[in-house]
Amino acid sequence: MAGDAPWYEAAQVVGITNALNVAADGLGAAGMTAVEPARAPAEVRATFDEIRAFFGGAAEVPAPFRLIAHDAGYLADVWGATRHAFADNRLPRRLKAALAFAVSMTTRSPFGSAFHLAEMRRLGVTERGVLEVIGVTQMFSSYTKIADTLALEPDMGDMAPADPSPAPGG
Amino acid sequence: MPTVRLRDASEYPEPIRKMFELSREWFNHDFKEPPAMSRVMAWDPGFGAPHGRAMKRAMAPGEFSRGEKEMVAAVVSGVNACHY
Repeated sequence: MAGDAPWYEAAQVVGITNALNVAADGLGAAGMTAVEPARAPAEVRATFDEIRAFFGGAAEVPAPFRLIAHDAGYLADVWGATRHAFADNRLPRRLKAALAFAVSMTTRSPFGSAFHLAEMRRLGVTERGVLEVIGVTQMFSSYTKIADTLALEPDMGDMAPADPSPAPGG
Repeated sequence: MPTVRLRDASEYPEPIRKMFELSREWFNHDFKEPPAMSRVMAWDPGFGAPHGRAMKRAMAPGEFSRGEKEMVAAVVSGVNACHY
């Protein structure tokens, strides 16, 4: 994971995963109505089709997208950011699904945990691989709380060299 | 400031100091003092040893590489808003 670029990608996955989870878990629980694809305007249906295709031809559009689809423009922009964040790039899509699964478990998101677990499996991660991600998530959930309880100060920050490259296009 | 006084490696008994050497090899980094977390976990080997073994099992290369797992660990730490 040399250089900063993979970490920017990871941060995008973490951010948009949380954005989707808060909509799915929060709005769903609040009783907000999801947009039904069959009754949606053409513009929304087109975005729904893209979403289903991206997620392996899923039968259903994932809940967070249906919940925010009352505003077609907003849906399209959130979807654009999601697609960009989860697409294969420097980080492969299976790792991005694993990161999203770990984030969802850590934030106790029922939607995110189930959705990204299914995505990991769809992308070829076996039960062994799933357990690997669960193990890392558990152990670092433990280490972080031990560190916080004892108010430990960072002392490993200089292990990796700083990336001297400019911003993209700079 | 830490809640506890972190002991220097030299304050630990010899068998524990050997564990710090393993920690240095694990991180492949020459620390002046073992990382604070290593010294915390060494305080009570009855907890630290199995916890450390579980961590090493979890981080060992498998379907995901060690580097990929470090990234998972980093995002979990970030989401937990862990300053350390």
